[in-house]
Amino acid sequence: MSSSVSRPPFDPELEAVLAVLADRIPPTMTAEMIPGMRQAAPAEVTDEMLKASGLTRRDVAVPGHLGDEITVSVIAREDRQGLGPGIYHTHGGGMVSGDRFSGLAQALPWVVEHDAVLVTVDYRLAPEYPDPYPVEDCYAGLVWTAEHAREIGMDPDRLLIAGQSAGGGLAAGTALMARDRQGPDLIGQVLMYPMLDDRDRTVSSAQFDGVGVWDRGSNVMGWTALLGERRGTDDVSVYAAPARATDLTGLPPAFIDCGSAEVFRDEDVAYATALWHAGVQAELHIWPGGFHGFDLTAPHTALAHAMTAARNAWVARTLGA
Amino acid sequence: MHHLVGRLSALDPEASETLRIVSYFDVLITRGAGLDGLLRGAAVLSGTVAGAEVRGRVSRRDPDGHPVTAAGETRRSPEMSHGDWTVWLERDGEPGPHDAMIVERLALGVELIEGRRRPEGGFEVVIDPARPVAERVTHLARHRLDPATPVRILATAADTAETGAPSAIVPTRYGLLRATLDVFGKLDPPEPVGFGTWVRADRAPESWDAAIIALRLTDESVPAVDATELGAMLLLAQAYDPQHPHEDVRALAGLDARSAEVLRTLVEADSIRSAAVALGMHHSTVQARHEALTHTLGYDPRTNAGRMRYIAAALLQRLTAPAAPAPAGPA
Repeated sequence: MSSSVSRPPFDPELEAVLAVLADRIPPTMTAEMIPGMRQAAPAEVTDEMLKASGLTRRDVAVPGHLGDEITVSVIAREDRQGLGPGIYHTHGGGMVSGDRFSGLAQALPWVVEHDAVLVTVDYRLAPEYPDPYPVEDCYAGLVWTAEHAREIGMDPDRLLIAGQSAGGGLAAGTALMARDRQGPDLIGQVLMYPMLDDRDRTVSSAQFDGVGVWDRGSNVMGWTALLGERRGTDDVSVYAAPARATDLTGLPPAFIDCGSAEVFRDEDVAYATALWHAGVQAELHIWPGGFHGFDLTAPHTALAHAMTAARNAWVARTLGA
Repeated sequence: MHHLVGRLSALDPEASETLRIVSYFDVLITRGAGLDGLLRGAAVLSGTVAGAEVRGRVSRRDPDGHPVTAAGETRRSPEMSHGDWTVWLERDGEPGPHDAMIVERLALGVELIEGRRRPEGGFEVVIDPARPVAERVTHLARHRLDPATPVRILATAADTAETGAPSAIVPTRYGLLRATLDVFGKLDPPEPVGFGTWVRADRAPESWDAAIIALRLTDESVPAVDATELGAMLLLAQAYDPQHPHEDVRALAGLDARSAEVLRTLVEADSIRSAAVALGMHHSTVQARHEALTHTLGYDPRTNAGRMRYIAAALLQRLTAPAAPAPAGPA
């Protein structure tokens, strides 16, 4: 049983939240739960929330992988003028759920604060659309964004990519593609507790099995939905699982954060280390006792405040506000 | 914004929502969260500003968990005070359905933090096995007790009223409980209550441990349990780690309600025939259930050894079930 494994304890406030939500968020998500996960739509940003922040939204159909149509939303301040910095957002949801509004609350303050223009993409989801659909859709959306930057009020030389969880992995994969395909240029990558490694071989994965949020079983489920029988084999691209990349040179500066009490801890630390080894600038924060996505689930806690403040400060420095 | 509140208010049964509030604060307190954590919890659970004034210093938190420094404090309601602290929610309009309970739990947490700060220390020192004996003896002296005085400790729900005897609210593996010192055996505690074993006063932590177990074994039909009456079974219960349930306990926990009832009847009945009568089932059906249960459990519950295993497992199962604090009554 998992109870014999030693692991960092949850932060007291976060453990209290877990105790309350235990039967709402089971530690292990299975393939059968995918329809339910899609309905639950956690941390959704609504039009009312946008309006309350003085933001407008415009939906655009853009070419995705193989030219199929996908939707992006362009979000900016109602009073925006001239060219502002750009944020390209890839949402989370374990590769199998969520939409372009999931988790967006983390990025909206950046739009307000820095008068930025944000593009968020509805990439197609596994298992119906397995790899490479999700990451290729994300890249296609990024290409559209860069090509139409001036049109939507965005400075193409100040474009940042950001995503959380599966979207963090997709952001890292998209950044690798942008490097290898000679563009678009990115000035930074915000990888919030990113899902980077399909191989399930870290200590943190073994530590959070049947406990916490998005545990080992959930993670294996997500990767299996994305990669099918290729999961864990040699037949997985670095764009699908950026942890497999052996050459990280030439990538934009990265911001990586994660909880110490979650599956992604070790692969996220390893990715930051690999970036430094490759001469890439990176800032890494591991928040003690944090479970997966705690800033979204428990935004009122001291640890969530600290995580958000550190992340927002990096974005502010990078966007040169 | 307030996902927690959203999810809480989306819950159906009233009772389970109060249980969630209790467990939220229980975890905070058991894990040693400070005043700010308690205030953030009260604010997010109530959806309004929560405040505290402790030794003259005011702290307020909004439901996003941020400090509120601006003036314009609205009406304090409800509000609870005790000695050198006051806690409250800020509400102008209709009170929320759980305001009273949230403030009560907030008050409990603040009193625990403050109790530890007071120079005389709390009664909890006397029952804390982590404290050196010398420190416990010093505290006993304050209650005019000799280390050799026979005492026992009583365990009741955290929100039960004090009886007048030395008492403290203590975090335990089953959440917050009230510990009360009994020297004369004449207290009339509120039920449910677990009575600890009689021990020398300097060994009070042992009695407290037994009292916690006894309280866990209470139910509606037996609202008071004396650990002394458990006899040697107490040793078994004390050796047991609820975090690592034994296979026999897991097997019982896996049974549906009807199978559990059939099993209990089989263990208690003189014969299969009398079990069948008690259950209102056909003899051959009970026979078949008996065989199936023997297979599931891995032992025959009608042999002497099997009965013993069943009784031990059933006892330990009650110590294993997830903590279910009694609903709060008026304090």
